[in-house]
Amino acid sequence: MAAFEAVSGAPSDITAERPARQLRGGPGDASAERIPAIELDGVSKRFGREMVLRELRLEMGAGRVAVLRGSNGAGKTTLLRMLATRLRPTRGHGRVFGFDLQRQGDEVRRRVALVSVLGGNYPVLTARENLKLAATLSGLPGNDLDAALARVGLDAAADTLVRTFSSGMKKRLGLARLLLLDPPLWLMDEPYAALDEDGKNLLDEVLTAARGRARTVLMASHELERSARFADAVLELAGGALRRSGS
Amino acid sequence: MSAAPQGPRDRAGAAVIPEGSAAGDLAAVLAIARKDLLQEARSRAVTVATLFFSAVTLVMMAFAMGQDAELLRRSAPGVLWVALAFAGVITAAQSFQSDLEEGAFDQLLLYPVPRASVFLGKLLANWLYLAVLGLIMTPVTLVLYGARAGSDLWLLPVTLALGTFGFAVVATFYAALTANLQAREALLPVLMFPVVVPVLLGAVRSTEALVGLQNATLAGGWLQLLAGFDLVYFVTCTAIFHLVVEE
Repeated sequence: MAAFEAVSGAPSDITAERPARQLRGGPGDASAERIPAIELDGVSKRFGREMVLRELRLEMGAGRVAVLRGSNGAGKTTLLRMLATRLRPTRGHGRVFGFDLQRQGDEVRRRVALVSVLGGNYPVLTARENLKLAATLSGLPGNDLDAALARVGLDAAADTLVRTFSSGMKKRLGLARLLLLDPPLWLMDEPYAALDEDGKNLLDEVLTAARGRARTVLMASHELERSARFADAVLELAGGALRRSGS
Repeated sequence: MSAAPQGPRDRAGAAVIPEGSAAGDLAAVLAIARKDLLQEARSRAVTVATLFFSAVTLVMMAFAMGQDAELLRRSAPGVLWVALAFAGVITAAQSFQSDLEEGAFDQLLLYPVPRASVFLGKLLANWLYLAVLGLIMTPVTLVLYGARAGSDLWLLPVTLALGTFGFAVVATFYAALTANLQAREALLPVLMFPVVVPVLLGAVRSTEALVGLQNATLAGGWLQLLAGFDLVYFVTCTAIFHLVVEE
């Protein structure tokens, strides 16, 4: 409950006015900007006997950027995967742009992309083939594959199998997929990990642009000093609870 | 940010993935199947394993039965389908295993396509692979075991298509169910073989009728049984696939 107070109690930062019922039309709705990008209402997640997330309450307005910090095993990845509909809450309800995580998963997935630690790439496909698959499965025409690859500096490796990529290149490919899909909500799990200095600067540019274009970003990161420069708020997960730790 | 795609956008200009459509879902199914087949064409991991395993099975069983030509001839359909069944287990297990390596299966489930499309894509790839394997193994088995195709030879490919389809449905479903388990290699055959017995029985009996080991007129009945079980398994597994991939 303290997490709810700490996170959603401050009206001027990442919070947004809770939408009225009739406003739940998603981003296409004329009043969509009033719908929080993320709402968590008493969300808990248990794995076996271990309660990883406890009664999380959060309201994050659209167009805000927040950094999620916490020690290893605190539940950051679990929270991000839950918001991406890969994990079901054990208790409570969550909504993304007004769409329920459990009952309206397809609608949520139309508005969310997750950059995961593992990359999510197919090693035996080329970089371009990976992006082409992402475009096809997202119902997008796929005209922008080369532009996305060029944006992250992978244009020269577009037709190279991903299994030959370094960790940093795989991370860049995940970033290219995010730019290609460009959804309203970006979930990023340790986006700076494995990137070299150029890659980190590139990510800084991407995040700066994302802020300018009102994308909502929730990013789990141990590079707090760097990532916090773009953030409206820093949230901390500890002991399964969420609280605001600074801005 | 020139990589951002054309198409529907929210008020902030972010891409909102278009609503799903039957054509979009079909495109997703074909894209997933193509991806799986392309991966296999490049890695050849399953091809090498299944061809070798099938050849060893055929030869070992032939040696085990000795020089009794009639026994060899009568056992040909059973040996063929046992070899195909074990090859099918390898095929289905590997189709998920290769996706799990770098979180690609997780990523696959984050796209806004129905879970059923993911299942159907994987099923299509596994079925095509098994059917082609069956087309290669059938003449080899008939020659090696001294069996001959009867007058209704055209029904043999139908038997192969229905038998491998039913087997692929069950194998793909259970491979998804066990993909994240530590003992998946042991659990997959243990769980799926009891379920797939009607399919194997129908396929073996129909093959027996078509190679002159039973009255050829019985083949039609066995094929109807096979088609019936295929339909039941197909509808059931497609409908409940989402339950096995959501955590």
